[in-house]
Amino acid sequence: MQRRDFLSWLLKSAYAVLGLGCVATLPYLYRGGNEDIKTFFVKTVDEDDLPRRGVKEVEFPFRGLTHKAFIVRKNTDLFVLSPICSHLGCSVNWNFVNNEFDCPCHGGRYDMSGHVIGGPPPKPLTRLPYVIKDGFFYIGIRA
Amino acid sequence: MIRRIINLLDRWFGTKEAHRNFLARALPGKIGVSYCLGGMAFTAFLVSVLTGLLLSIYYVPSGTEAYPSIVTLHNEVWFGWGIRSIHKWSANFLIIFVALHAVRVFLHKAYRPPRELNWMAGALGFVLIMASGFTGYLLPWDQKAYWATVVGTSMAKTVPGAGGLLVRLLRGGPEVAGATLVRFYSMHVLWIPFGLMLIFWTHFHMVKRQGISGGL
Repeated sequence: MQRRDFLSWLLKSAYAVLGLGCVATLPYLYRGGNEDIKTFFVKTVDEDDLPRRGVKEVEFPFRGLTHKAFIVRKNTDLFVLSPICSHLGCSVNWNFVNNEFDCPCHGGRYDMSGHVIGGPPPKPLTRLPYVIKDGFFYIGIRA
Repeated sequence: MIRRIINLLDRWFGTKEAHRNFLARALPGKIGVSYCLGGMAFTAFLVSVLTGLLLSIYYVPSGTEAYPSIVTLHNEVWFGWGIRSIHKWSANFLIIFVALHAVRVFLHKAYRPPRELNWMAGALGFVLIMASGFTGYLLPWDQKAYWATVVGTSMAKTVPGAGGLLVRLLRGGPEVAGATLVRFYSMHVLWIPFGLMLIFWTHFHMVKRQGISGGL
């Protein structure tokens, strides 16, 4: 083997090592986890402050972030709706003039029960689990 | 397959010619291994940059989270301990190679005109590399790092007149604290590497212009 060929071979090997090194960083960059998602019940409002009819927006802290949810009383039903739009995850607002939830991003619209009445959302708003314990209303968050 | 990609790149960007010009330059015949020390230092620098980019993905430059983030890097991230070790060792080798390179240039009297400006650029680069080592040493935010920085920054106090001001500028306050950590992080990952890249560019450009010096 001539010196020129050897150097050329050496250079190609160096490029190959560099390329393999780039691929080898992928497992370093990838982080697993999140497989153990559980439902946490977070204390929100006093039982006496639940809406008698209509929609009440509540905010509560969880792991350093402020979360938002809608407590809805429709006829005799009581349920909690997540404000996360099923389209792309924006936070919807309660529009008390038209009695509907409006998404500010792409105009998704939901009725009081969370069913889609207009716009791009493919699914209704998610209902969150809740419990009433010791006079307080706890909302279940999956995290 | 690879050949076709290379040919395609060449057709678009003319890479083959540039690659050949870069690697197949004529050099004086008497060149030996000691002439490689500068290139070895630059290789160590590149390894430091690449591993540093990877470390910056997980490192959190804050007084409360710096140390835990490194513990996470070591114990949970795949090969995190390895990346950090490579960063540390490449930094050590960088300083060693730069020092040997300087000795080689000195012994060959290659610092003399017309290369005096390049000697100065190299000396400035050496100072920046030491500064990078000093600022990087604080970032693990453990006891050793903390007290090394307390001692290191208090040396600036001995400067006549401006000493107190200098220490405050270095520490970002009267004491080594979270503000110092953020300052050192910024210098370590932004200011110093940017300065070094400018220095290296001028350094290599002048070597290309002036050629390699005649030797002993």
